[in-house]
Amino acid sequence: MSRPAPTDVVSVFNDNPTWTPGFQAAGRRLRPLSGFRLAPRAVPNVSNYQQIVRMSARTDSTTDLIKWWNGYRLRDIARSGIVADVTDAWDEAARRGWSDDTALRATFTHEGRQYGVPLYKSYFVVFYSRPAFERLGVDVPTTWQQFLDVVDASHAKGITPISAGGATSWESLIWFQQLVNGLDHRFYQDLTAGRASYTDDVCRRAMALWSDLYRRGAFSAPDASTTDLPARFARGTTAMCLYGTWNTGAFLDNGVKAADLGAFLLPPPPGGARSVIVESGVLAVSAHAHKLDAAHAVARAWLDPSVQTAWTGFLRDTSADPGVVPDVGTVRQVAAQVRRDRPTQAIRYWEASPPVLIEGNVQDLSAFMIDPTSSQATKTLSNMQHRADKEWKMWTS
Amino acid sequence: MDVLTPADPAASRTGPRPPRPPGPDPRSERRRAAWVGAFLTPALALILLLLLVPFLVTAWRSLFDDNGVTARFVGLSNYVALFTDPDFGRSLLNTVLWVVGTLVLPVLLGLLLAVLTHSVRWGAVARTAVVIPYALSGSATALLWTFLLRTDGAVNQTLSAVGLGGWQQEWLLHWPMNTLVMIVATTWQATGASLILFLVGLQTIPSETIEAARLDGARGLQLFLRIILPQLRPMTVVVVGMSIVNSLKTFDIVWLLTQGGPGTASETLALTMYRQTFTLNRYGYGAAVSVVLTVVVIAASWLYLRRQVRQRTGEAV
Repeated sequence: MSRPAPTDVVSVFNDNPTWTPGFQAAGRRLRPLSGFRLAPRAVPNVSNYQQIVRMSARTDSTTDLIKWWNGYRLRDIARSGIVADVTDAWDEAARRGWSDDTALRATFTHEGRQYGVPLYKSYFVVFYSRPAFERLGVDVPTTWQQFLDVVDASHAKGITPISAGGATSWESLIWFQQLVNGLDHRFYQDLTAGRASYTDDVCRRAMALWSDLYRRGAFSAPDASTTDLPARFARGTTAMCLYGTWNTGAFLDNGVKAADLGAFLLPPPPGGARSVIVESGVLAVSAHAHKLDAAHAVARAWLDPSVQTAWTGFLRDTSADPGVVPDVGTVRQVAAQVRRDRPTQAIRYWEASPPVLIEGNVQDLSAFMIDPTSSQATKTLSNMQHRADKEWKMWTS
Repeated sequence: MDVLTPADPAASRTGPRPPRPPGPDPRSERRRAAWVGAFLTPALALILLLLLVPFLVTAWRSLFDDNGVTARFVGLSNYVALFTDPDFGRSLLNTVLWVVGTLVLPVLLGLLLAVLTHSVRWGAVARTAVVIPYALSGSATALLWTFLLRTDGAVNQTLSAVGLGGWQQEWLLHWPMNTLVMIVATTWQATGASLILFLVGLQTIPSETIEAARLDGARGLQLFLRIILPQLRPMTVVVVGMSIVNSLKTFDIVWLLTQGGPGTASETLALTMYRQTFTLNRYGYGAAVSVVLTVVVIAASWLYLRRQVRQRTGEAV
């Protein structure tokens, strides 16, 4: 039989060993607020991590806190009863003015209750290389046409306009979600909730826009690696990349000077409105935690600004508390644009529908990136809808 | 060992039939059986515990709709879903490609290199060069080939640098080319193992046999096909058998180079099992794939070994 963590320690299980110093820093701030500090344990392989959580969560070997994903991935484990209700933590955050983000809160909700607090709140933005923009003589685009002009100018100068991998990874969803949500935010929400079809007009237009960008030579090879991207930004051989703000640290740690890295929200395509894709990790309380009360206390204190300052300062990413912004130029730039433009928010596609549906559709989108033609687009959307019909039935059965 | 039997004509020539040896002592027979049992028990217990029991548990789990948290008995539904899934057909086809590819390339190349370098002066250098990749882990091999085969990787950059830009390909992005180049990558790594085994086989061929064949006028290809190859038969059975089983289980290099993609284009049965079980958390469906894979591996091994063992037995009689 496993034993609880000692005295003032609450264990937190996650899939990212590099976060350990961040959890420790946040834990030092949590100690006076909740009475407990954090002891992170990490399994770096996401598949293994998920398996361990699922298998251990109903035993006495579970950790007190679990890192997870929001949206349907959270609902999946919430309805299985392995994570605890933390609605009181959201209520407290709203009462204290730390975070009253109803759109974000909805993505942590199952049957009207919340089952985790936000670890961070990342936005999908276009990172750009300032030296490349200077060489091209272009400014940050504020309209879709200006964005296309930047693409064309880059292509003409032999600079890869946009790095976009995804041939064999989840990243194939990035441009699909961006274009569908950018064209029609309400439709994106209906689509991901199973109320609209992948063969509807908005999806067809999104795929046509995506194909058109490929025709213009906007994208890198679909097997481009994000790991190499900082070097290509630093050299100025790639101009832009649409990605989550959580990748800011990777740029800065791998050779891109803070002054050379910029970010902006992609302007909506013609007929669309300003909307941004948001991604948020989850800090959930294990329903069978050894220290259930302590874990709840930590969850209630997690959104305290002092904790968030330490944590997001380590991550160099945005917090669910809009008042806490790390001292990183690129992130501040994004936070300022979000405050100014007030775009509607949509959950990242990865978490927006039942996991099995998403995983299958992401593979179809990867295949589309290899052959981005209109006939392949039609086939892709048809396959995605076919899978949606099947998987929504499974999800609700 | 030669045993003199009553039917032996030599025995009848040498004089009167010797008295029949007394029957075996039942007590010593039982003791012998106990000893044999004692030696076999640990091996049998391990097989039962580590192979048979997990297989039966997996087969039982394949009858459930199991998401890792809740499980519901669904009978053979997972098998029905598997056999009607179009991706399963592609996965099976890729697995067959791997079996054929790794039989043709690493085994043949290993045999060829072993024979060519066996008795030449600088053979050891060539053999070392071929064997070194075998010492690398599957992950290191996959990383190396990812670096080479990506669209912006070393192969395409080299082609461009030497003026052969028109030959550049998206090596890992199109089926069946991605599967074929991954078989080539595996060949680069696995040929060393075949080479070593065939070298061991070559060293067991008595030099008198080769000399006798040469005296009889056998040379070159004739010597190889008529004398050396038949003598290598026991080793060939091992190498081919291992190659079949390993190729049916192909996982690491595909997972690291393409993750079975784009889409599910380069997926093998082992990858389908992994994806269903650990990515999609469909433990019952994944268990069904693993049962099918196990049956395929056992059937292929049994069919192959049965044929080979029967032929060997036939030779001995």
